[in-house]
Amino acid sequence: MTSACEATTRALPGAAVIELSGEVDGSAAAVLTDAYERAVTAGADSHDTVVLDFAAVDYINSTGIALIVSVLARARAERRKVVASGLSPHYREIFDITRLSDFIELFPDLDRAVSQLTHPAA
Amino acid sequence: MTQVTPRSLDTFTLASEPGNERLALARVAGTVKDLGLSDARLERLKTAVAEATMNAIEHGNGNRPEIPVEVEVTQDGDEVVVAITDQGGRIHPDTDEHEAPDLVRKLDGDQSPRGWGLFLIRNMVDAMDVTTDGQRHTIWLTMRTGGAAHDERM
Repeated sequence: MTSACEATTRALPGAAVIELSGEVDGSAAAVLTDAYERAVTAGADSHDTVVLDFAAVDYINSTGIALIVSVLARARAERRKVVASGLSPHYREIFDITRLSDFIELFPDLDRAVSQLTHPAA
Repeated sequence: MTQVTPRSLDTFTLASEPGNERLALARVAGTVKDLGLSDARLERLKTAVAEATMNAIEHGNGNRPEIPVEVEVTQDGDEVVVAITDQGGRIHPDTDEHEAPDLVRKLDGDQSPRGWGLFLIRNMVDAMDVTTDGQRHTIWLTMRTGGAAHDERM
């Protein structure tokens, strides 16, 4: 199935950033898995944290939630922390009711997530 | 007490093809936009409609495009009701799936990462009912309008 989800990745000191856009649904499985792989293996850094940025995502459904659960499970198994940024109020609510926000720290936007991760004392 | 007659606002069908839930979501959102739902409650209804339509397409009609999913939007007093019907009868795995999603168990690999659909629907709308009449399986999503007086978790 063609996916309406795109992902770009970049590496920061200690963190891998995955910027998602479009629709996060079941068809995004390969996009998300490939992006995760690319992000955590880029550069020499161990990437203890993975940032999922949803600022350009306009739709997440239950199968997309399942993909996010799978990414979180893999990251936890690899002892990586996952944080998220840019969720709309509606999808923040969904992260709350599914309890994803118990395991994924939420930031209003990518800048604040990056700032917190690269300057934790600030 | 004044009896208010339910008013049908829209009725349409969709081919049972994955992705068509987006069409249902957009059309229902357009139909109810002036009924007084807050932005947050409209977003919840849209998610519930999308999830219920996905279930109808996939579980009810088996992704067979020639079997339509029927959608009807009705206003009944201060409630908007969206009825989504497929031809799956009682064979509706997701509806019959009683095990609530448990994120901890999913993360531990003890439960499939999937299975969030009905959970989301139940948490998004004020009421969810399911009826089966022969092959016709209908999920009824009810949202009260004038949301400021009701549950606003945002």
